[in-house]
Amino acid sequence: MKLLNSTARRSAAVLAGALLMSSLTACGGGTQAATAVNKDTLTIAVDSDSASFGFDPLRVADAQRQFFEGLYENLMTLQPDGSVGPGLAKEFSYSADNTVLTLTLKEGVIFTDGATLDAALVKANLDRRSDPALSAYSAIAKGGAQEITSVSVVSPTQVAIKFAKPQPGFEKNLASTMGMVVGKSGVADTASLGKTPDGSGPYTLDPSTVKGNKYVMVKNDKNADAADYAYKKITFSVIQDPQARANALVSGQADVAMLTSPTVDFAKSKGLGVSQIGGTLHTMVSFDKTGKTAPAFASEKVRQAFQFAINRQSLVDALHKGDIAAWNALPKDSAGFTDELNTKFAYDPAKAKSLLAEAGYGNGFEFTIVGSAETQTDLQAVQKDLAAVGIKMNIKMASSTDEAFAAVATTPLGYAALGWDNPVGLMYGVVLNGFTNVQKASDEQLTAATGEAAAAKDDAAKKTALTKLNTRLVESGWMIPLYESLTNQGYNTKKVQQVKFAGSNAYPLLSSYAPAS
Amino acid sequence: MALFITKRLLMALATVLVVAVLAFLLVHAMPGSPGAVSLGAGASREAIDEVNGRLGWNDPLLSQFFRWLGDAVQGNLGTSLIDGRSVSADLGNRLPVTASLAAGATVLSAILGIGLGVSAAVRGGLVDRIVGGICGLAVALPAFWIGIIFVYLFAVQSSVFPATGYVPFEVSPQDWGMSLALPVITLAVGGAAFIARQTRASMLEALQQEHIRTLRATATPTWKILYIHALRYASLPIVAGIALQFIGLFGGSVIAEQLFAMPGLGQAVQTSVSTHDAPAVQGVVVIATVVVVAVNLVLELATKFLDPKLRAS
Repeated sequence: MKLLNSTARRSAAVLAGALLMSSLTACGGGTQAATAVNKDTLTIAVDSDSASFGFDPLRVADAQRQFFEGLYENLMTLQPDGSVGPGLAKEFSYSADNTVLTLTLKEGVIFTDGATLDAALVKANLDRRSDPALSAYSAIAKGGAQEITSVSVVSPTQVAIKFAKPQPGFEKNLASTMGMVVGKSGVADTASLGKTPDGSGPYTLDPSTVKGNKYVMVKNDKNADAADYAYKKITFSVIQDPQARANALVSGQADVAMLTSPTVDFAKSKGLGVSQIGGTLHTMVSFDKTGKTAPAFASEKVRQAFQFAINRQSLVDALHKGDIAAWNALPKDSAGFTDELNTKFAYDPAKAKSLLAEAGYGNGFEFTIVGSAETQTDLQAVQKDLAAVGIKMNIKMASSTDEAFAAVATTPLGYAALGWDNPVGLMYGVVLNGFTNVQKASDEQLTAATGEAAAAKDDAAKKTALTKLNTRLVESGWMIPLYESLTNQGYNTKKVQQVKFAGSNAYPLLSSYAPAS
Repeated sequence: MALFITKRLLMALATVLVVAVLAFLLVHAMPGSPGAVSLGAGASREAIDEVNGRLGWNDPLLSQFFRWLGDAVQGNLGTSLIDGRSVSADLGNRLPVTASLAAGATVLSAILGIGLGVSAAVRGGLVDRIVGGICGLAVALPAFWIGIIFVYLFAVQSSVFPATGYVPFEVSPQDWGMSLALPVITLAVGGAAFIARQTRASMLEALQQEHIRTLRATATPTWKILYIHALRYASLPIVAGIALQFIGLFGGSVIAEQLFAMPGLGQAVQTSVSTHDAPAVQGVVVIATVVVVAVNLVLELATKFLDPKLRAS
C-alpha cells in the first residue's frame, strides 16, 4: 500500500528535523557543561548514602568519617600522615594508672546552633553513650571493651574521662566518629539530628541537599580551620552502581569517585588518576568457636583446615581481579603483617583433609552459612573448595537484614569486610567482645596480644604485638582471610591534585583534596 | 457523562483504599517493629518497647490504620523511622523526578512508536520488515543494557549528555533537559517498539475500512486520510498502549534511577525497603497507586471521548 505521498513525506521530514534540532541543541549545552572547570566546587561520588541515619555522627561507623568531617569536628584529629593530633582538644594527659584521660579544650568554637564548646558540652555528648543506637559509642558504653564509667567537668575548658580499666592510647579513638562533638541543641533534641546537623565543622549543610542522592556542603566561615579546606562547596553524590560511578567521573559529573577494582582500568584508560590503598580484609569469621551451633567449629584443627582448603589466589583471579589474595588477618600495610603466614597456610587440600581427620571429622561435616547478594559469588567459590575436602557448606541467602544480623548467633561462620585502621578497637569492639563472638569464646593468646598492642609504647613494641595478634587470629581460625580489597579513589587530573590517603586510612581527609594547579 | 465520571471516581477511590489497606497490612506483617528499626541492632528490649509505645505500634490495627488514613488524607504520610524526615515532603520532592522520567519517556515513545507504526503500515514491504526487525530487537533488549550502551556512547565517549544526576527544572531548564535525555531515551526504546507494533496493527485494520476507501475516492489529501481519519479510527488501542506504557514506566523507573543516580521514587523505594522504613514504604506505595489510578481514569475518559459507540452508550 503506497499511501504516503510527498506531503506526508514532507511532514515526516519536518518532524524528524525538529527532533534532530532539539538533540543538537542539547548536545551543544552538554559539551560546554562537561568541559567547564570550577575550582571552587568538588563533587565526590560515593557508593552509599553518606547519612542514611540522618546527621548524628555517633550513629555511624568510621567509614562515614570523611563525610561527617565536613560537618563536625573531632576532639582529636586524623593527620595527613595517619597519626593523631589535636582537635577540639588542644591537649590531653593520662593519670598515672591510665584510667583517667583529661582533655583541655579549645576556646572560641561555635556550633551551627550558636552555642560554644565547653567541658559541659563534651560531657553531655559522652553521656549519650548508654544510647544503643549510637554505634560509634558501643565500645565505651557500659560493658564495652573501653567502658567509660564517668565523665566529669574539671573546669569550663577541661573534662576528665574515667575508664573502667586502664586505656593507654585511647585518644586515638577520638579521631574517629566517636570523637565528634554535637552541639548543645542537637544533644538536647537528638531527633532533630535526623534532618539537621549541629556541628562546628568547616562546612555546613546546604538546603540543596537531596536525601540519599546528594549532600551539598558549603564553607562555614565561623570555623577557624575552614581556610585549610580548598573548596567552597563540596557535594557528596550517591551513586551506588560501580560502573555508573566510574562513568560519572569520566564524563565530568564527579571530580573524585570511589572506584571498585574492576573499573580502575577503565578509568585509567580514560586518562583519569587513581590512588589506591589496601586495608580492607574480606574475611570469613568464625562466629562460633564453642561448637554451640556446629560442633565441628569447637575444634581449632577444623578451623585451621579451612585455611588450607581455600584456594585464595584462584578466587581473586576469578572474581576480584586487581585485589590481593590474603593469608594474613591484618592488611599488608599493617605493622603486624607477616609473609610467614602466606607460606604457612598456603593452599593445601591434603593438609586440610589430614587436619579434619585428626579432629575426628575424616568423613567431613555439613554446616550452613548466611549469604547476601554481595557475598554470594565468593561463598560459592569457597563452597567448591570446601566440598573438595569433604566439608559441605550450604549457602542460605538472607531474606532480610535482621536475618543477616541474627546469623552471628545462629550460624558458625560468617563473611565480613573488616578495616584494620584501629586493630585494638576492632579486637575489643568486634572480635573479642563484640558481635562476632556472641558465644563468648575466649583465647588467652589473642587477649594478651591485644593488650600488648594497646599498651605498646613504641613502633617496635607495636609491631611485635600486632604480629602476634595477626598470627594467632589465623592460627586459631578465628579469622579465615580471603582477600584484601584495594580502596580506589579515581580523580579528574585536570581538576584535582593527586588524592592522598591519611596513613592507612581508606578515606582521605576532606582537607587533603585540592585543585590541580 | 457526569454519572460515568462519578462512578469511575468512586471506583478509583475504592482501589486506592484497598491498596492502602494492603500496604498497611504488609508493612505490619514484616518482621521487626518501628522501635527495632529506628534504634538499630544493638537496642535493648525496653528501649524498643518505649519507642513502639510512643508510636502507637501496640494499639489495635484498626485504630492504627484509621489514624494513618486520617493523616494521609490531610497530606501527612508520617515521618521516616530512620531520620525523622516528613515522608510527604520527601516524596513530594521525588515525585517530579519520576514523573518527568515517565512522562518524557512516554511522550518520546509515543512519537517514535506512532511514527514507525504508521510508516510500517502505510509503506509496507521492506520498510515494514525493517521496522518489524527493529521493534523486535528493541523489545528484546533489557532497559539497563540499553542504558549502559547509551551512557558509554553519549556520556563516556563523547560527553554529549551527562552520565548521571538530575537537575531540577527551576534550577536550569536546559540542564534539566540534559539530565533527563539519556534516561528518557533509555526507557523510551522498549516503549516505542511496543507502541509501533500496536500502531501498525491498528492502522492496517483502519486502512481496510470502507470510509477510508470512500475518502480516497473523493480525492481527500493523503495526509488527511492517514493522520486525521485512519489514525483516529486506530487510536483506541494506541492510546491504551501509551497509558499502559506510562504506568509501566512509572513503576519501572527504579532501574533508570539506579543507573543514572536520579533522586526519584524508585530510589526512595529501594532505600526505604532496605532499611525497613515502614512509613516511607507505605507512602511510596500509596503515591504510586494514586498516580496509576489517575492515569487509568484519564484513559477511560479518553477512550469514551474517542469511541463514538462508547460515547453514545
